[in-house]
Amino acid sequence: MPIIRLPYEYLETLTGTDRETIIDRMPMIGADIERIEEEHIDVEFFPDRPDLFSTEGVARAMQGFLGLQEGINEYPVTPSGISFRVDPGLADIRPYLGSAVIRNVTLTEEAIESLMGLQEALHWAVGRGRGKVAIGVHDMDTVTPPFYYQAAPRDRAFVPLDFAEEMTMEDILERHPKGVDYAHLVRDCERFPLITDANDNVLSFPPIINGELTKVTTATKNILLDCTGTDQKAVMTAVNIICTALADAGATIESVDVDGAPMPSLAPSVRVVSVDECCRLLGIPLTAEEMAAHLRTMRFGAEADGENEVKVTVPCYRSDIMHDWDTFEDVAISYGFENFDAALPESFTTGKPHPVMVLQDNVREIMAGLGFLEMMPFTLTNERVLYTSMQREPNAEVLHLQHPISEEQTVVRTDILPMLVETLQINHHRELPQRLFAIGDCVEGESTFQKVAAVSIHTEADFSEIYACADALMHEMHLAYDIEESDDPAFIPGRRADIFVDGKKAGVFGEITPDVIRAFELDAPICAMEFDLRCVRERRGL
Amino acid sequence: MAELTYNEKRLMVVLNTIKEATPDVIAGELNTTPDAVVQFAHLCAEKGIATLEREITVSYALTTEGEQYVTFGLPERQVYASFQDEISMKDMQAHPLARIAIGWMKKKGWCTIEKGIVKKTGDAPEGPDEIALRDPDASREGVLELVKRGLAEESETTTYRVAITETGKALVEAGLDLREEVGTLTREQILSGDWKDLNLRRYSVDKLPKRIVPGKIHPYQRLINEMRNVLLEMGFIEIYGEVVQSSFWNFDALFQPQDHPAREMQDTFFLDGTSPLPENWERVRDVHEFGGTTSSAGWGGTWDPAKAQTNVLRTHTTGLSIQYLKDHPDEPVKAFCIGRVYRREAIDPTHTPEFEQLEGIVMDKDVSFRHLMGFLKEFYGRMGFENVRFRPAYFPYTEPSVEPEVYVDGLGWVELGGAGIFREEVTDPWGVTYPVLAWGLGVSRVAMLKMGLRDLRQLYRSDVDWIRDTPMMHGGKE
Repeated sequence: MPIIRLPYEYLETLTGTDRETIIDRMPMIGADIERIEEEHIDVEFFPDRPDLFSTEGVARAMQGFLGLQEGINEYPVTPSGISFRVDPGLADIRPYLGSAVIRNVTLTEEAIESLMGLQEALHWAVGRGRGKVAIGVHDMDTVTPPFYYQAAPRDRAFVPLDFAEEMTMEDILERHPKGVDYAHLVRDCERFPLITDANDNVLSFPPIINGELTKVTTATKNILLDCTGTDQKAVMTAVNIICTALADAGATIESVDVDGAPMPSLAPSVRVVSVDECCRLLGIPLTAEEMAAHLRTMRFGAEADGENEVKVTVPCYRSDIMHDWDTFEDVAISYGFENFDAALPESFTTGKPHPVMVLQDNVREIMAGLGFLEMMPFTLTNERVLYTSMQREPNAEVLHLQHPISEEQTVVRTDILPMLVETLQINHHRELPQRLFAIGDCVEGESTFQKVAAVSIHTEADFSEIYACADALMHEMHLAYDIEESDDPAFIPGRRADIFVDGKKAGVFGEITPDVIRAFELDAPICAMEFDLRCVRERRGL
Repeated sequence: MAELTYNEKRLMVVLNTIKEATPDVIAGELNTTPDAVVQFAHLCAEKGIATLEREITVSYALTTEGEQYVTFGLPERQVYASFQDEISMKDMQAHPLARIAIGWMKKKGWCTIEKGIVKKTGDAPEGPDEIALRDPDASREGVLELVKRGLAEESETTTYRVAITETGKALVEAGLDLREEVGTLTREQILSGDWKDLNLRRYSVDKLPKRIVPGKIHPYQRLINEMRNVLLEMGFIEIYGEVVQSSFWNFDALFQPQDHPAREMQDTFFLDGTSPLPENWERVRDVHEFGGTTSSAGWGGTWDPAKAQTNVLRTHTTGLSIQYLKDHPDEPVKAFCIGRVYRREAIDPTHTPEFEQLEGIVMDKDVSFRHLMGFLKEFYGRMGFENVRFRPAYFPYTEPSVEPEVYVDGLGWVELGGAGIFREEVTDPWGVTYPVLAWGLGVSRVAMLKMGLRDLRQLYRSDVDWIRDTPMMHGGKE
């Protein structure tokens, strides 16, 4: 989640109160304070509130929350007369453009830092790593309108930000640090997105890098904003958030004509919400007036509309308000989570454990009673542990992960016994005897089922010991079973047996073959068993 | 004074007669071994009724090699005697002991070697080593020399003397019960009542028993069961479900937009297979595209059914909760699930690609955010976290959302899980009309807090000794 740096002085100036008051209450609007430093504070905000990713946005919200200023801010937009043309050739590359002219900015070092921080956080949260939206801010006085957003040849050259020499766009993807980072977003396109002015000067190569020409400095007075992307709604969200943040810092916003359509509007939207629905959802009694007051605290425009409705004016930067309940959460935040009277409802229900869990609980009790210690190994493993080291043929139904994170974990287990032998390997330096069991989920194909396995390692571990345990397990599970000699290669011939329930093979036990013992770098005799609980579920209809 | 054992009594009786003796002598009297006598005497000495004196004597004896030289003398003596005043090296080397002898003859100054000629210097008096060769006790200097040359070896002999003390005498003279001791009761002794007259061997309570480790349920499973029991007691029904889920249930049904980062392969384990969409999937599509029949605007764009069919290893158990609600749309519903979930994370002390998640849901006519807080307080309270407070939070499928924090001694307020009311976009497609309270938490996080665990790997790749040492009941001894 984005961590926003808030310089104290700038925050105090914008909010109109001291830092202690602000910091004290900030967590209760939905923020995690990461660290408090000498000159600034770093705060993590939630990804659904990109409007809080700037000092200006936080100040605006805190003003309301602290009761310093409530209701919605007005964001007048006047036409700039500047126009922007979009090349239809971008349709399959990066079709959407949002723009605005922001005049009379006062860019102190802190304001520039806040703006850059906002841009980065928006790239992450709204832009999905610049793919969906990428943002450029330009010193408008260095270029001449009208502007042109075009699909340009890949060998078009210009001086990218922080470089002194001209580079082709292809070169930028190879050599410029930002080019290397974001090359994957455009590499496969035949032409690259480019923004130029009336004199064919380059402003930006979105979503990669701006030109050096329009670099924003403390001397910048007027800004041209470009937001390009693949999702029009997200593009406009970014434009609205940046414009309103800078407007709150004192700038004036002017619209740009993009292919004849003026933008941005920065106009709020209206939503009429039910007081009763809000009160029932939150469990607090509020009048329409009280509810409207809470919403104004959260910087909405809100007026009671009769006794049972509130007309909410939602600022354009609140992209998270999708549903009426989204406004109810803000009512709850303003009401104060600490002021809720936590209570349990009165309706009566009875609890019931899941039969499969009860079955597993019973097996655990049996195995612990037989003196085994429970282990809870991972369900993710690999075919070497599951099959090769066990001298077994791979199970054709083993479930592979498409993109494993390591070679150790590439499949979901089909058996638990190999995991237990691996656990013995982890514990090879611990005192013997070790008698371990594990129970839990396995997957074949895509269906989940349960197995239980047990191992016993010590100098006298043998077939008789594990036969007795297997027999006890069957007896305690109240299962009739048959035994036949097994041909499971994980066990020693003549010292291995299969368990049959209802005529179907359901388990195996015996003495582990020394080839397996050595494959797991162990050196003592091991007797072991594994039992598939599917037959129990079938019999009992679980 | 602690009671005497039968054997100690017998020793005291013998000692009272002979006053002082070696273990050998006493062993004869008691018809036992000298080692046993030393053991009994040691116990009596601890009680102050006897003394046990230990003396270590060092003695020397010739080694096999040393024995070979007893008759004809050390190698240098034998070679020295084999020639007259001088001899060439070549001739001398014909003697079988020449190689050992030459160095010693030179070292002892018996001869010089010049230009290949070995010449005697005069007398070759018998040295202490040669005296010791005849009798190892005759010269200490000599025998140590032989030890160095590997011709003699040192051995220690421990001898004991046992004596009775005045206290001991008084004790014996006061009279001792000398009936034979019995170790194990027999069936006959129990039935006949003879056991009453037996002298049952007494055990020392100071000696620790041999350690037994009982078969045990894993400490982490015990914690999971504790949580299950809390929820069962609170009237919740347990859910259990498949590990493999379609993206539809894992993400789409929870109103996760299809371009959400959690749905990328960096975070989620995707599988090759697909699952068919359930009946009424179109309602989920509608809710994504424009909000369906709710007041929501939806995410916009086009919802892709193919993307929803892709299977994943479940990243949470919430997909099971919503399926449970679909199958049980009538109020009241109280259900929970504790199950393993999968995230594409590398293994380190605080991350594992699979871990247990607990999730509870409550759906009822008049439940509200206030009740969600009530359930959280109740649940955490029963888990031993008495102080709970709430802060605003964000989770994609709940609105409003809340983050509970619990107070832990030594750590302060700690975030523990997340909660909220399912968004209407989540419940509406399934005809669920009442609010659904939901909360979840990482069970391993509770394990870290309650079991003092620092490394999550201990849960899944357990050290056997950790299981052996972790008491089944927690709390109590600190």
